[in-house]
Amino acid sequence: MHLLIGLIAVVVVFALLRAFLPGRTGLPVLFLLIAGATLVVLERADLLRIEFWAGSVAFVAILSALLIVLHPNPMVSVLFLIVNLFCIAVFYLMLQAQFLAALQVIVYAGAIMVLFVFVVMLLNLKAEEGLHLGGGAQRGLALALGAAFAGLMLWAIKTRREPPYFAPSSFAGGFGTAREVGALLFAKYLFAFEAASILLVAAMVGAVILAKRKLE
Amino acid sequence: MDPVLERVIVEAAVKIALVFFVVLTTVAYMTWVERRVSAWIQDRRGPNRVGPFGLLQPLADGIKFLFKEEITPPHVYRPVYLLAPILILVPALLTISVVPFGPALRLFGRDVPLRVADVDNGVLIILAFASMGVYGIALAGWSSNNKYSLMGGLRSSAQLISYELAMGLAIVGILMSAGSLRLSDVVARQAEHGWNVLWQLPGFVVFLTAAFAETNRLPFDLPEAETELVAGYHTEYSGMRFSMFYMAEYANMVTASCLAATLYLGGYHVPGLQRLGLPQNAAAIVQLLAFGIKVAFFLFVYVWVRWTIPRFRYDQLMNLGWKVLLPVALVHIVWVAFIVLMGWA
Repeated sequence: MHLLIGLIAVVVVFALLRAFLPGRTGLPVLFLLIAGATLVVLERADLLRIEFWAGSVAFVAILSALLIVLHPNPMVSVLFLIVNLFCIAVFYLMLQAQFLAALQVIVYAGAIMVLFVFVVMLLNLKAEEGLHLGGGAQRGLALALGAAFAGLMLWAIKTRREPPYFAPSSFAGGFGTAREVGALLFAKYLFAFEAASILLVAAMVGAVILAKRKLE
Repeated sequence: MDPVLERVIVEAAVKIALVFFVVLTTVAYMTWVERRVSAWIQDRRGPNRVGPFGLLQPLADGIKFLFKEEITPPHVYRPVYLLAPILILVPALLTISVVPFGPALRLFGRDVPLRVADVDNGVLIILAFASMGVYGIALAGWSSNNKYSLMGGLRSSAQLISYELAMGLAIVGILMSAGSLRLSDVVARQAEHGWNVLWQLPGFVVFLTAAFAETNRLPFDLPEAETELVAGYHTEYSGMRFSMFYMAEYANMVTASCLAATLYLGGYHVPGLQRLGLPQNAAAIVQLLAFGIKVAFFLFVYVWVRWTIPRFRYDQLMNLGWKVLLPVALVHIVWVAFIVLMGWA
């Protein structure tokens, strides 16, 4: 895991250099390239470990999630949300759920986020000045809930008893393919599947009626 | 390093480099083909000065683009403005990775399949990358801070979303008959039971029309309709960044042609080739060439249509997408399902 920690450190130093060096110099980029390349060459054994890649994607996921909330420009926030959804697709892929990964990209990163981009483009939102944090009660509640969730995650990681994730050997042959998922959806979970489809149809009809001003 | 892993990585790297080279060369030469064929259709001569038949023209164009001044207008939103051409070119080139170009070639004592990746979800991956292409266009339009660019970006996003649906539904017919999302299975099935175009003609027409709209080509090139929108979403781009939009358009054409050939014209399958009893490598090369010819045919159709049919109006485009292609594709699915159920296919 040395490579991952090293690369994260390099990225942090790069960000600091960019923020505090006066003017537009090529120095931070130069540092990023040289330090990054040196690290990769020194610790190249890590490149073949799935833990390294899982850790990198997790890092990108957390960074993009933070930037969704912290970036002042709404369009850039949307872009980071797309990056975040992509990271989730990569996680599915690492867990051998390739069908789910493809769907994640098509449905979330592709279809739904295009609508987000549309709305932001049409509303012509301007970048906010500074970040508006909620008042006292809201902030306290958010902190408490966040701490509780972090605690829950730590507890889940500590008490985990399964074999390590990301090991291809721990999954059956056809696991995660369209055939397997389809068989589950249309046999074992047929009721839930049909119920969800009825819900979607109802929502669609509702949207059409709301969008039409007068019904003939 | 693990020798098996090393072999896999080296093989993949060589294939990726090769496919990348072939696709980019095709893209460059498509600009030459486009200009020569348009000249032929319009009874002109076309570019014929640089090299024999003007064959070195793409090279000259490339050098020109590289040496042109890159202007970044002061009113653009810089990070997204710089990112957009990349966002549009990368998905266009990535899609080609799942296309099977031919059967396995016997090299160094083992079979090397002529495709970069043979994944279980090939068709879904194509749809996923196709839907990613919208972002490049929409963001190029938005970040340029120019009303023509914004209108072009909005139009093209609406167009891509509408036609993606019809395209996806047309492909469902193929999936039902092949019973698999893997493109090599689709080709194998067609080799066994005849090409899909023979009995899925409505699906083929819907797919091809949607593919024209997806690649923003005439008669559906509304995002860049110059009479109304100057140059649409790439109005504010110049130099190599501008040429990246062009490269993406032609790369998308190559991908769409590869898909049309794979899904409907039997991919690399050549009827009656097995009876000749050629050795494996010779047969593989013949099939690779056959695939190339099928793709070239579709690329020619792209150019042919562009210089023959005038541009649609925006409402006509939306009507065609939602009121004609979508219902046709839905009825087509029912028809294919019926045939597959009865076991006639």
